[in-house]
Amino acid sequence: MEVGDKIKMPLPEYIKKEYKRTRTLRGMWYLTNYKYKFNMSRIKTYLKGLKEGHLLGIKCRSCNRVFFPPKTICGKCLVKPDQWVMLPETATVATASAGYAEDDKDRERPIPVIGVRQDGSDTVLMHNISEGVDFDTVYIGMPLKVVWAEERNGGWFDIDHYEPIEDPAAKLNKEEDLK
Amino acid sequence: MAKVQPAIISSGFSEHASKRSDVNMAELVNEAVENCIQMANIDWKDIDLIINGNMPAFEGANMPELWMGDHMAAKNKPVLRVTTGGTTGGSVTIAGYYAVASGLYDTVLAIGFEQQSCGDTSVGLASVAIGEIVIYPDVGYDYSRMASNMGAGAAIGVASYQAMNYMRRSNATEEDLARVVVQNRRNAAKTWWTHLKMPTITIEDVLDTPYLSYPLRFGMVCPASDGACAILYTTEEKARQIADIPVYVNGVASVANEPAILAPNMEGAGQVDPCEQLSATKSAELAYGQAGISFPNKEIDYVEVYAPFPNQELMWVERLGLFEENMAPEAYRNGLTAWDGELPVNCSGGVNSTNAIGASAMERPAEAALQIMGKASNQVPKTVHTAMGHGWGGSINLITHVVMSDEPQRKWR
Repeated sequence: MEVGDKIKMPLPEYIKKEYKRTRTLRGMWYLTNYKYKFNMSRIKTYLKGLKEGHLLGIKCRSCNRVFFPPKTICGKCLVKPDQWVMLPETATVATASAGYAEDDKDRERPIPVIGVRQDGSDTVLMHNISEGVDFDTVYIGMPLKVVWAEERNGGWFDIDHYEPIEDPAAKLNKEEDLK
Repeated sequence: MAKVQPAIISSGFSEHASKRSDVNMAELVNEAVENCIQMANIDWKDIDLIINGNMPAFEGANMPELWMGDHMAAKNKPVLRVTTGGTTGGSVTIAGYYAVASGLYDTVLAIGFEQQSCGDTSVGLASVAIGEIVIYPDVGYDYSRMASNMGAGAAIGVASYQAMNYMRRSNATEEDLARVVVQNRRNAAKTWWTHLKMPTITIEDVLDTPYLSYPLRFGMVCPASDGACAILYTTEEKARQIADIPVYVNGVASVANEPAILAPNMEGAGQVDPCEQLSATKSAELAYGQAGISFPNKEIDYVEVYAPFPNQELMWVERLGLFEENMAPEAYRNGLTAWDGELPVNCSGGVNSTNAIGASAMERPAEAALQIMGKASNQVPKTVHTAMGHGWGGSINLITHVVMSDEPQRKWR
């Protein structure tokens, strides 16, 4: 399949009714004309930590949940978390999905996108898994390890991606064992 | 508790299609309102309050109630607008209940509508999410990564994560998901107002279509529809005079949870398992409690759940206490949820076949009420005494619940 080819979406027929067209005019609405504001107090510390190679989560003093990346308010207790904790470099796959971007060279190959739960935290973060990892081999509960970017400049992708590590419980996850 | 017992006396629909190019938004709403008022057999002047809602910015018109005042019989009457994203319809339904239950208004018309073909749904969604997304480049989230990561994002992304975790929990297969779709689309073919009517669809047809986002295929996802829905509420005394079988609304609940997957301001999302849905369990408990239902799986005869994607339908019927956890796929396999089954689910085809966003969550209680009245076009063979309509929306997982019955609430007390 060539790049830019339109992919046909076969679907069974459905009963369709034709409607007579009424007068239609085009209008425009620019979303870029607006201004949006953010609280950077927590995320600045987090990004600074990444630059130095530390994984910083923030802990709610009321419910002891650790947010990674940090949160400005704990939805459970209405408390502003303010206790920074250092997290280990290991993580697990909490959820996964595959994107099939249309401009991708090979549409048949899914690109895995994973929800990562950093060990010691209670939150999910969307991130990437090492390139070349087959989507079929990704499963929920898969252990991962942080791979740092070569050049760290205090940005979101100072953690370049996560790579899978050996899973001592891998045998248990096989389908034959479940049956 | 309710001062006055509210009752639904009729619900009306417009025709739904991907492009209702023959009408504008106001005329579309008028179709549903006329259908509702005709079925109720009352005069439009008897209506005391009008509550309406749709998804803001999806049609590029904010405050559409100014445009369509005449079309929804609002002359010389108060108008309220309620909008909560995907659950707009559910929230409007609940607002109608509150207005009657408070004793301030007697007859209330609740309207939910959406004409997605007028606008660009992705622009509409962008106007919702842009406040969170514009910060991404500022903290070093480059555009190429955003494209690939967000490709599995938006509504289908949230659903595909739910699907992955649900399939992991319950060992449901893709065939199970396809079975739900087949049931819905075939049911939709028997209902007059629905959008995707596919009377001959099979499981193989669905599994033939390509993936959009694993494990959801093109044939499994909901369409984008144009349509409107209206529900007419009144008090118990009036309902007894007007309607043959008034439908008493006995329990409503609406519960929001922490954001799942997509948390604003680049913050960590507090829900680790997207298919856990604690807010659904919580709101179901509240609504059943108000209605005096102790065993939902035995007492509820008919249910309409808000499931744009098939995995959600399996998930919701479990979370709402209608089936044991992880047992829904088997129930679908055995035909318990079919039109002539023990607990019919989504006999109108559900959101999976018709999704006019602002109306979708309202069509659930509206159709459930019609099933109790015996006026639904795909009427189930068994007698429906107690039914439930459910709504879900947004990444904060706002859940709405409406439990209704052909007997007023005090019977159980």
